[in-house]
Amino acid sequence: MMTFKSRSLVLLAGALVLSMFAARADAQDVAALTLIRDEATRDIVRSSLDRAHAVGLPIGPLLSKAFEGIAKKASARSIRDAMAGLEKRMRRANDLLAPDPTVDELAAGADALYVGVPDKTLRQMRTMAPRRSIALELGVLTELVARKVPPGRASQMVLELMARGASGAQLTAMSSAVQADVAAGIKPDVALDLRGRGVMSLLPPPPSAAVLQGRPH
Amino acid sequence: MVRDLQEGDELIERAARALKVLPAADPRATARIVAAGRARRLHAPSHFTLFVEWLREPTLSFASAGFLAAAALVVGFVTRGAMSAIDEPVADLSVAHAAPLAVPVMTASGRNEARAVPVPIVFESSGARRVSVVGDFNNWDASVSPMKRIGTDGPWTATVFAKPGRHAYSFLVDDATLVADPRAPVARDLDYGGATSVLMVVAP
Repeated sequence: MMTFKSRSLVLLAGALVLSMFAARADAQDVAALTLIRDEATRDIVRSSLDRAHAVGLPIGPLLSKAFEGIAKKASARSIRDAMAGLEKRMRRANDLLAPDPTVDELAAGADALYVGVPDKTLRQMRTMAPRRSIALELGVLTELVARKVPPGRASQMVLELMARGASGAQLTAMSSAVQADVAAGIKPDVALDLRGRGVMSLLPPPPSAAVLQGRPH
Repeated sequence: MVRDLQEGDELIERAARALKVLPAADPRATARIVAAGRARRLHAPSHFTLFVEWLREPTLSFASAGFLAAAALVVGFVTRGAMSAIDEPVADLSVAHAAPLAVPVMTASGRNEARAVPVPIVFESSGARRVSVVGDFNNWDASVSPMKRIGTDGPWTATVFAKPGRHAYSFLVDDATLVADPRAPVARDLDYGGATSVLMVVAP
């Protein structure tokens, strides 16, 4: 049995528990924001994250972009522009990779769009792989275009390899080989054809139209 | 003796019969009782009044105290969730700085977010006193992936955890200078300028 004083203490303890939980959540928030020392940058990052959150975009990639800018000693304005640009590309990628892209896919899709991969390529990739992540394939495509392979040609090759069932390791190996070839002075599109054919030769032949239609050939 | 007992039994029976007959109820008394009950229902104390009265009671059972503590915990937990939801962007910020874990996350579509896999990184710099790997896999946070030197003049090594895909990274030397990885392909940073190393990670 408890006295009135004890009961008050119990109530006080309850209130304390409440405030401790609240304080913990606040402390996490404050700690995260204080990692950004410059006040102007902190405000920019906060408003950008709020905006992204309001439209349902994941904030992880945006945050990474902000911290990249801070690590590279970029100005607050550069960080704001970089985050705004990424947010815009992520919105585009979100539409193109619908219905429900993962965060990794969104980030990879935004990168692909940044280097010049056409919108329709992202749509085709999603159609081709509706039930698995295509973050790696998007990364390979981005890397090829970053090595000056024409976006249309790179898209065609990656889509073809995906259709033939190329593994992530095979795609990545092809990308590395193209990068090395380009660094050695080979034209990017030539390097892609060469390395792409090499991977194709390891894959099973494409299913014929007859097989696709369920008829014996 | 027997006769005395029989007379006693009859007396008791008569008394019992007389007691079994209830006296007629006074209609005025009944009306008073009914009116009092009705008035009490009409003026029943509110829940708040009952709570205050409960507080003023001199004692409290352990069961009530336990219920109170449990209720406080539940309310605290729910409130915490609500607060986290309000500040979700920033809450995510704090999570992002934690060391990456190789835990798959199921999405609404049923697709698995890829696992982060360990990737060994090597950097050679004889003059550096401190080196960290920073990249999009660790939110460019130097404290997440500090490198260790092999011997006194050997290469710097670290293992980072990155998901399959294309990643940008650099080395932060002596907490001041970002250096691209001489062993890795380099890409132009379209946002902040300069060069960034590129890491392609494949699922095992």
